[in-house]
Amino acid sequence: MKKKALAILLGAAMVLSMTACGGGSSSEAPKSDAGSAAGTSSAAEASAAPEASSGAAEASAAPEASSGAAEASSTEGGNKGYNFQMIVKSFQSTYWQAAIQGVEQAKAELGVEVEANGPATESDIADQVQMLDNAIEKKPDGIALAACDTNSVLDSLAKAQQAGIPVVCFDTGVADAPEGSVYATVATDNTAAGAVAAENMFPVIEEKIKAATADAKVRIGEINQDATALNIQQRGQGFINKMKELCEGAGKKVAVVGNEFYVNATENAAAEAEAEVIIEVGVPAQTTPEQCSTEAQKIMSKEDTIAIFGSNQTSAEGVIGANQTLNKLSTDPAQGIIGAGFDAGTPQKEAITNGQFIGAVTQSPLMMGYEAVVTLAKICDGETVADVPMDGYWYTAETMGDENIAPNLYD
Amino acid sequence: MANKKTFGGLKVREAMVLGIIVAMIILFSILSPTFRTYPTLVSVLDNSYYITLMALGVTFPLITGGVDLSIGTGLASYALIGGFLVVQKGMPIGIGLLACIGIGVLIGLFNGVLIAILDLPPFLATLCTCMITRGLGPALCGGFGVSWPSAVSSQGAFRNVFKFNSPSGTVIPIGIVSMLVLVAIMSFVLDHTRVGRYTIAIGSNKEATRLAGVNIKFYHVLAYVISGFFAGLAGIAYASTYATIYPGSGAGFELDAIGGAIVGGVSASGGVGTILGSFLGVIVICLMKVGLPFIGLQANWQQIFTGIVLIVAVLIDVVKKKK
Repeated sequence: MKKKALAILLGAAMVLSMTACGGGSSSEAPKSDAGSAAGTSSAAEASAAPEASSGAAEASAAPEASSGAAEASSTEGGNKGYNFQMIVKSFQSTYWQAAIQGVEQAKAELGVEVEANGPATESDIADQVQMLDNAIEKKPDGIALAACDTNSVLDSLAKAQQAGIPVVCFDTGVADAPEGSVYATVATDNTAAGAVAAENMFPVIEEKIKAATADAKVRIGEINQDATALNIQQRGQGFINKMKELCEGAGKKVAVVGNEFYVNATENAAAEAEAEVIIEVGVPAQTTPEQCSTEAQKIMSKEDTIAIFGSNQTSAEGVIGANQTLNKLSTDPAQGIIGAGFDAGTPQKEAITNGQFIGAVTQSPLMMGYEAVVTLAKICDGETVADVPMDGYWYTAETMGDENIAPNLYD
Repeated sequence: MANKKTFGGLKVREAMVLGIIVAMIILFSILSPTFRTYPTLVSVLDNSYYITLMALGVTFPLITGGVDLSIGTGLASYALIGGFLVVQKGMPIGIGLLACIGIGVLIGLFNGVLIAILDLPPFLATLCTCMITRGLGPALCGGFGVSWPSAVSSQGAFRNVFKFNSPSGTVIPIGIVSMLVLVAIMSFVLDHTRVGRYTIAIGSNKEATRLAGVNIKFYHVLAYVISGFFAGLAGIAYASTYATIYPGSGAGFELDAIGGAIVGGVSASGGVGTILGSFLGVIVICLMKVGLPFIGLQANWQQIFTGIVLIVAVLIDVVKKKK
């Protein structure tokens, strides 16, 4: 008996230790060098009065001449020496790789240290809260946070506030954050970004929408990876509302069908029977490309479907995956279904170059990462800061190479 | 025991599952006009390859009375590492594919040693390797996702084994041929070779098998190595059909494969099961995954429904045993 109990205990200990390792290991690579972070510890202690420390710390924290942006460090204020912690949602999609690139740029320009961490996947909410708490323990000069779940981080934010550590939220805002704990939010206006997709899609399918009747309906599909994350909700709803508004402007009644969340969130939608335009929203049971692809295929197989929008990288890849078997996407509305996506990634970029998608909306993860660090530095310098709203940019095969677009189009 | 042959060589359970498949296809076709199209068939098959491969492998540990929970996260991890070597490190595609299978075999061997030699409970041991594999891929690859080369490039030509795009633009789900061949081979291995017979014997009565002079440790380890090997193959199949591998993904894939095997008549307590049964069970699972959205069932209901079907499948087993 004793042996068995011991075995179970040991087993439990093993499981525990592995969970702990698993969370940390996945984020090891993008971290800044652990060694170099140690050099700034003297600056970190003075976090209560950061203005005073900025002069003293410059010797200990010379910026690392790593990312080829070393020349930038010679610009004004290149040696601030602050030590920041950054918590991202995960390193799951290459989206975050671009954000880290922006962070590297800011590190080099400002001469600050940033240690980035994130859980294995965007749904590991508890792991992320733990990482945030650990970051607070380290008493940095500031924390940049992209919260996986906006409610779970509230206690930790209060803790950071008590410890006097300023927090800047990026990518995702925390609406219910304790008063004064979040100094600024650097995030894409997702509702507006979803609307950008609708605005650019509508002119292409306008003729077909105008020709629609209650007996010969047209259908516009939307694939959302989930109905729980705030940014996806806003983006999906932004697209639906804008498309609905544009169609109603053309004198058509619009019904929204499919996933309950989005159906219920849409106000004043027409009944399906009397509508001329139907917006069908597909949400997969799991946020994986193959399930998104099944959802997309379900909608694209319908005879009356004229367009489809995938509202993030995974769901846009789902649309592309479905098209591999269906072969229905086209940039010409007379030839097939009009497709549009969101964010980037190799498959989506290929789809735009080879004429399957008319275009996609990109956020600027690079600028978000950059702005988050810059804003933190400003706070430490004693400046007052405000929220930094980031735009969603529409890009097509022609504009992919533009200098304000290209850096955000990660592979 | 359901070992009497009926229905033209099919066992009772296999014939039953085949009947369920036919019934599901008819039901979905009636309820959804868009379901009964060629692309949907292709989609069901596309969905089935990686699950089939996992199921072929995991049938062996299941029959020994164990389980392998590491195949789902393993699949994603192996495909991530393989893709990383090819895309980021510029290695030839062959190395990437071999790495995929090789790491799978190593993890399988590790599972086997933990379970057969160190006597860890299979559930616990493979739960641990499930976590290890979940972290392993992202840890080795810098934490970022990877997109395997596209099927039209020379590097991505291997993808045509599973999904062949004919010049006219029609997709031919050629992967099903490989699946059927593998089902035939593994059926032979399970039913007519020493490896298969001892696997079943370990699951029926481990002690008696040992007393009969069989090196049960070897065959017990081998069952997990087979499972790992097929998880590696499944990684390649997944990369072929869906291209992009996200780190930390794959959790839950194993449940589709294990669920499929159980639906197909592999006993959850070991000793009973056929490869053909597992394969047919996987087709049931895939039909549900693709068909339920088509008949308008929303995400949450799909999962509830799938769970209920699994309960029914296990209940049939339990009731049969009591008789």
